[in-house]
Amino acid sequence: MRGQMTHLDTDVLAEFRAGLITGRRGARITAHLGGCERCTALDEQLAGVRSLLASVPAPTMPDSVAQRLDTVLAAEVAQRNAAGRAAARGEAAPADQAERAGGDGTRESPAPRRPGGNRGFQRLALRVLAPAAAVVVLGAGVYGLSHLNLGSSSSSAASSTAGGAAPTAPSVAAGAESAGHVNAPAANPSKAAAVPRGIARAGFSVVAGQRNLTQANLAQQVRVELLVPASARRTQTPTPQLRGCVAKLADGHTVELVESVHFEGKPATLVVARTGAEDTAWIAAPDCSDTYRHVLATTTLSSGISGP
Amino acid sequence: MPDEGAPADHELLRRHVAGDADAFGELFRRHRDRLWAVALRTVCDPDEAADALQDAMVSAFRRAADFRGESAVTTWLHRIVVNASLDRLRRRAARPALSTGDEQAFEALVAQDGDPARTSDTRLDVDAALRLLPPQQRAALVLVDMLGFSVADTAAILDTSPGTVKSRCARARARLLPHLVHLQGNRSAGQSVSPAQGGDTA
Repeated sequence: MRGQMTHLDTDVLAEFRAGLITGRRGARITAHLGGCERCTALDEQLAGVRSLLASVPAPTMPDSVAQRLDTVLAAEVAQRNAAGRAAARGEAAPADQAERAGGDGTRESPAPRRPGGNRGFQRLALRVLAPAAAVVVLGAGVYGLSHLNLGSSSSSAASSTAGGAAPTAPSVAAGAESAGHVNAPAANPSKAAAVPRGIARAGFSVVAGQRNLTQANLAQQVRVELLVPASARRTQTPTPQLRGCVAKLADGHTVELVESVHFEGKPATLVVARTGAEDTAWIAAPDCSDTYRHVLATTTLSSGISGP
Repeated sequence: MPDEGAPADHELLRRHVAGDADAFGELFRRHRDRLWAVALRTVCDPDEAADALQDAMVSAFRRAADFRGESAVTTWLHRIVVNASLDRLRRRAARPALSTGDEQAFEALVAQDGDPARTSDTRLDVDAALRLLPPQQRAALVLVDMLGFSVADTAAILDTSPGTVKSRCARARARLLPHLVHLQGNRSAGQSVSPAQGGDTA
């Protein structure tokens, strides 16, 4: 049927309706549609796909995602301000220091740090306080930053200012100072709580993250991970091997975060512990255990939280 | 849309680059529901979408000075979000456990479908069907057919030609047709053409 042409293929019809087929070929399709019920029905169904897609209501952003983005943005702003002030004083920015300290993990300790309030906001969220949560009060929203769930006995603390520990007063003051231009702080700290030591030997949950961390930006990426609200995370139970690995790495220091991640595209585990005045982050290989300390990268997150 | 008298997008971006601590937040909040929709529809997973949007937000925050005003600020923001979303999909593709485009998984999803007329089911079916598309086709289709962007704006967002956008959309619609035709209500009732018939006789 040369003049009449055969029935239209869905792809051809779709291209025709998208304006991709014109000229004589287009005219033939138009003519065919004028006399073929079957292809006309297909044409209507194709138009129906478009109207159906247009009718699906746009999804609304979950509150947990909005809060997480607010938190990360506040950290970005605080860091930019800190970097700007440091630059004005003719110093390297704190982030740069941390970045240099991280790098390939073979460098010496970072340049001497200037204690101060600039990094207080960032540091504020890094603290994990007993029993399970650091609660950061940031203007409009309350974010439970539970980096470490110590099991069922303390799980309710993550979202409660009353049940859990709050940041210590000095750290909140430092945070308020630097974050004041970001969000009006409404710091309301309760009593400082003792940080339990040797958490790695106790039960902990692994944040089931999917971030891909890279060598080049490790320190900054780890900072961001530490800021993500617990409510936005899924957790899972660690394997005995991972528990052993974390205990090996933390070596008795307080573990702040254990998260399954990708490192340079390959599965790994991020472990962050508070090692003295600073945090240390390790990227553990999947075969890391209590007998095999297999670390792919490490970085130090310089601390400004403790003051001078 | 900003209120009367609210600063324009490009003005907020300019203030941000100049050091204003609040400008970027105002700009991003203004558009983030739409950006969220783009990310979620493109990566088809809420957790991945949140990660992609976070990546994009941080990237836009830091790279704002690179914005040269050749396109609208919204186009620029959408481009960063789409790129971050496609990046995540590429990484996910390297991880076999979370592959997309699995026809069997789709069948399993739609098999639970009770009453196809209900909106929630429609959304689920559309979500499931979207997963069948290659990411580039899906991104184009989402922008044009679901979010109402013009072909020209979509081409700018995807950094490609209008012809490529049209082609990707056309192929995507044809691909989705057999999976969505049952949702079209009265239109197809009684005169339905099965996709197999329509497809192999040309």
